[in-house]
Amino acid sequence: MKSLQMLLRNATTRKKALLIVSGLLITTGWVVNFFWISAWSFNTLMLLATLTAGFEIVRRAWQGLRNLHTNIELLVTIAATGGLAIGVYWEASAVTFLFLLGGWLEARTMSKTRDTLKELINMAPETAIVVKDGERREIPARQVKQGMQVLVKPGSKIPVDGIVESGTTSIDESAITGEPIPAEKQSGSEVYTGTINKNGRIYVRASKSGADTTLAKIIQRVEEAQEEKAPTQRFIERFASWYTPGIVGLSIASYLFTWNLEMALTLLVIGCPGALVISTPISVITGIGNAAKKGILIKGGQYLENAGKVTAITLDKTGTLTAGKPSITEIIHFSKATTFAGVDQEEEFEEVHTVSLSDQNRESLPSEGEKLLYWASVAESVSEHPLAEAILAEEQSNRIPEPDQFESHTGLGIEAILGNNHIYVGKAEFLQQQGISIREGINKKIQNLTNQGRSVVLVARNNELLGAIGIADQMRPDAPKMISKFRENSIERIAMLTGDALAAAEAIAEAAGITEVHAGILPEDKNDIILEMQEQGHQVAMIGDGINDAPALASADIGIAMGAAGTDVAIETADIALMSDDLMNIPEALRLSSKTLSNIRQNVVIALVTVTALLTGVFTDSVHMASGMLVHELSVMAVILNGMRLRWI
Amino acid sequence: MTTTKTILRSDELSCPTCVDNIESNLNNTEGVSAAKVHFNTGRIEVEHDPETVSDENLVKIIAKSGYEARVSQF
Repeated sequence: MKSLQMLLRNATTRKKALLIVSGLLITTGWVVNFFWISAWSFNTLMLLATLTAGFEIVRRAWQGLRNLHTNIELLVTIAATGGLAIGVYWEASAVTFLFLLGGWLEARTMSKTRDTLKELINMAPETAIVVKDGERREIPARQVKQGMQVLVKPGSKIPVDGIVESGTTSIDESAITGEPIPAEKQSGSEVYTGTINKNGRIYVRASKSGADTTLAKIIQRVEEAQEEKAPTQRFIERFASWYTPGIVGLSIASYLFTWNLEMALTLLVIGCPGALVISTPISVITGIGNAAKKGILIKGGQYLENAGKVTAITLDKTGTLTAGKPSITEIIHFSKATTFAGVDQEEEFEEVHTVSLSDQNRESLPSEGEKLLYWASVAESVSEHPLAEAILAEEQSNRIPEPDQFESHTGLGIEAILGNNHIYVGKAEFLQQQGISIREGINKKIQNLTNQGRSVVLVARNNELLGAIGIADQMRPDAPKMISKFRENSIERIAMLTGDALAAAEAIAEAAGITEVHAGILPEDKNDIILEMQEQGHQVAMIGDGINDAPALASADIGIAMGAAGTDVAIETADIALMSDDLMNIPEALRLSSKTLSNIRQNVVIALVTVTALLTGVFTDSVHMASGMLVHELSVMAVILNGMRLRWI
Repeated sequence: MTTTKTILRSDELSCPTCVDNIESNLNNTEGVSAAKVHFNTGRIEVEHDPETVSDENLVKIIAKSGYEARVSQF
């Protein structure tokens, strides 16, 4: 008896038990009626079924009344009681049973839409092992205070944000950063809640726990997004708030006019705006959840709706279309060649070559090019100029000696001495100033590269010009694919907005397939262009990464921020934030948004059609209590299942 | 009275209008200063005095409203 009480106290098992019992009673009723045609036992069984399923409904109706709320359960209670009073036992039992079954099925499917969130929450371990004075104690992770020492064993998840105090390990941080390669951690490294300690035992000094951790903040952002009401949802909720009282009024009015109590009760049964109120949130939750799983953070239903309607796209160049990090694109070098100059005579002369490195054919670089790169790297190894990084990144031999002497000529170039090698790296004027002759032939090639938007530095060793290096911020390889995807998705206008010089901007735009370029403009100009597009009736998306993009991200209908390369400011102002640098996630975000938008529309249509059909059915006497409840519950399930489709698109 | 904020989560919220009961039942409890139920995510935020109403009490009150919930870290 005690265990039965325990069973019934648990809300989930109680609902299940009531459903089974009431379902069995209804089935038995029909079987009995089929074989023995006994109205008396049929009605008794149906009455018992109504009371069983009704138990839960009446309970909630009563609770609502005590809190001065009229709720759907109250309507169903009145309808079922009325049904029993006028003797339609089967209808009353069907109404209560279907209502309970519907609620149970809906809760089960709805909880599936909350899966993404659950996965995120489950990343954080429940408990932490706190070490104090050599004693270990396991306490709830959220109760760990700042400054406590926490032991994390290999193979377990980090329970707090903090700093490693002792021990070394590698940690899988994909939960936070999306980076699949484990990061090496030692004393002094920062670790995050929810990341996985792979192989070492570490002691962590806690800095944040529970709701203050980075993981909690990510979860909070996803949750806020899911809670944020889309415009359609607000509209529907206003509609629903007068729908129920409207139906109750209609029910009373129809009774007063027709004295048909059953019709009035049927109206009460269909008075729940279930499918309507759930039509938008179900699509929004599922759409945002699915996007979050792909590393696309959409800030809320409203943005989802806006993003679904985009007709024009503006993009920043540096850091968005390009990697935001200069790298070597070409190497110009000389090579000795011979030419036939009469019998047994050959004349030696120098050829100038341009080798392109942008298509990654690093192996095909001839030895002259390697030599040039080597000496440039020696000189640049102690320089802090941004271009130095590009040159050093390309030099793959690990043994670059540091120069004995180094001097930087600001704005011109650098000078370095290693042993008896005297190296100059810099602009043509700089090398000329040092008395190095810039030979014919190379000038034209340099001019060529400059026209393509490259920065060019020349390299000389011991008064001999070795060649030149072309450096540019290179386009991300997936940029052209992204742009053509936009065109496929009938985006009418695509424009690049950049503060960079026209030559560099046009080179990237052409390679990416963008025809409209606004170069050399200030952040406020970016804003003006977006406003102009909006005046023309476009729904504008802006894709950017830097602080200079923040105003444009804010004034566009949809601001999309690139993640890893992006700054926090951009991510805060953006409506959609990409956690990774994968450009194809942008068309994907727009695709998911427009799919979600049409899903919402389908759901609203399903709900409205059902309501109209039910009302018509009731007044033409073709829908009764049981069938009314069935259609109603089916429409709710249809809306939920339609929304769930968004998980797999 | 010192209040703390406790987050609970329920998987069972199936219809946006049924959250009213949970919210009212919590708000009518002595020691609870504010309660908010988010339907979409199933998150229940309660600001309460842990001396008067413990976390377990909150779970019981929600169970009495007809829904199962559990305390969550965040």
